[in-house]
Amino acid sequence: MSESPNIIRRDTPGAESASPGPVDTTSGGLLFNPPIDIYETAQGLVLYADLPGVSPEGLNLQVQDNRLSLYGEVSIQNEDAQVVHEEYRIGNFLRSFILSDDVDHENITARLNNGVLRVELPRAARAEPRRIEVSSD
Amino acid sequence: MPVFRWGQSWDPLRDLEREVDRLLQGMNFSLQGRSTRQYPQINLLDKGDHYLLTAEIPGVAMEDLELTAANGVLTIKGVRKPPAEARDDSFRRQERFQGAWQRNLQLPDRIDEEGMKAEYTLGVLRVTLPRSAGTVARSIPVTEGPE
Repeated sequence: MSESPNIIRRDTPGAESASPGPVDTTSGGLLFNPPIDIYETAQGLVLYADLPGVSPEGLNLQVQDNRLSLYGEVSIQNEDAQVVHEEYRIGNFLRSFILSDDVDHENITARLNNGVLRVELPRAARAEPRRIEVSSD
Repeated sequence: MPVFRWGQSWDPLRDLEREVDRLLQGMNFSLQGRSTRQYPQINLLDKGDHYLLTAEIPGVAMEDLELTAANGVLTIKGVRKPPAEARDDSFRRQERFQGAWQRNLQLPDRIDEEGMKAEYTLGVLRVTLPRSAGTVARSIPVTEGPE
């Protein structure tokens, strides 16, 4: 699995600073690139993504062609109060990945608990080599 | 576009150059997440009679979360454990924070420590910190002392 070029980000890769700011979309909301882990197991791949503030209803996870994309909409909004100290801002999450052909697209499962998404990407059973009979005219 | 360039690029070095480019770009990529900053990220809001502290701590078990307040300093600490099934060498990408963490926050006012409340939903911790009633200035009468 590799990451697809993130078409939403305006800033170009290679010109990134250590703490890139979020992308301001035209709709007025902020969009973040969530941190992820990917590791291999005997069954396939497991992907974790941190999506604080996203409920299962607010998460849209889809596979189209070879692209797995996740979009999480935060259900916790900014409080109407004076800010004393601010380290993070609230926004939605977007990230997409290109799946290899090894992944069994039909059997991808996902769970979202306490703001952490876990996606299981099982390895597809290898196609048996098929012998092609060769005949002569 | 290559990040790394030899002054004069001749054929035997082209592969190496490409490889170094790939590594540099890979490093850049790992900095795109929000994991390189202090963990966890904290906001503090003034709601009049109380403060509201919020922190993004996704995926922490309640029993691994500890919250204390003493002498105007609020301390939150916890542990983020990696999945038991994941071996160190099986990771293809690792951007999420892992391990023990602690944050100490100096509170702007005295807090009624008895009235503190905390809740954890969708990976976000919200702590209500009521202002202590004792913050009203008390006048101290001055009497004439012995000469």
